[in-house]
Amino acid sequence: MIDCHGVMKRLWEYLDGELPVSDVEGIREHLAVCARCYPQYRFQLAFLAAVAHAGTGPGPRPAFAERVRAALGSTES
Amino acid sequence: MPTPALNGTESRAAFEREALPHLDSVYRFARSLTRDDTAAEDLAQDTFLQAWRAWHQYTPGTNCLAWLFTICRNLRARQAPRTQREEATDSADLESLAAAALHASLVETDPHGQFLEMPDLRDRLSQELLRLPEEYREVVVLADVQDQSYATIAEILGVPVGTVKSRLFRGRRMLQEGLIEFARDAGIVADARSGGSV
Repeated sequence: MIDCHGVMKRLWEYLDGELPVSDVEGIREHLAVCARCYPQYRFQLAFLAAVAHAGTGPGPRPAFAERVRAALGSTES
Repeated sequence: MPTPALNGTESRAAFEREALPHLDSVYRFARSLTRDDTAAEDLAQDTFLQAWRAWHQYTPGTNCLAWLFTICRNLRARQAPRTQREEATDSADLESLAAAALHASLVETDPHGQFLEMPDLRDRLSQELLRLPEEYREVVVLADVQDQSYATIAEILGVPVGTVKSRLFRGRRMLQEGLIEFARDAGIVADARSGGSV
């Protein structure tokens, strides 16, 4: 049975989907019943969503694709 | 089994089909590295020119985006050689536990993590991300923005998976420290540094 310490050590790997299936179930069961770890899980989940949003940033100018195609057009593989 | 050689037209068609749809992602990755729109366009364009020249080395049907990220990151490393920095030597486990302790200090005053929803804080997070040292920034962007696996990031950067994890977790923890400091300074959460149980 995994304890709070073990869950905290592996929480990011759990959220990243990087743990073997055999470890995932134990963590999921622990999170469902632990008043201490569950808020941590919710917080980290929200944090990762915020990073994904914040890091997306503005895309290239509309003319960028044409610029790359033009540059490629003058080269041979 | 070796792939039959494609003629020039087939090659270009394959490149258009597999590589060019990733223009936006490569640009965004380049921008996260250079932190500048013009430099990002130059780096992303150079990435596609280099990819086209090396297209015969690409195995069709494999992870083309990761292959492009590798080229982009290598070009960047050549443009802006990094001075040898102090590497994060703490284990990924310790980084995870440090983040848990950080959160414990916050949870007393903001048990539901509402502060992550605030627009000002999102802007701050964008700034904090660009302020991270590049070796942490590139890993956080590849994992959390570009959704690449630890193993793929390890291949892109040419480092062991354990290094990817320790850099990723250290980078995330640095971001959280910056956010919590911002939230405290702005009075969004109470200052728990003097008394809270950590």
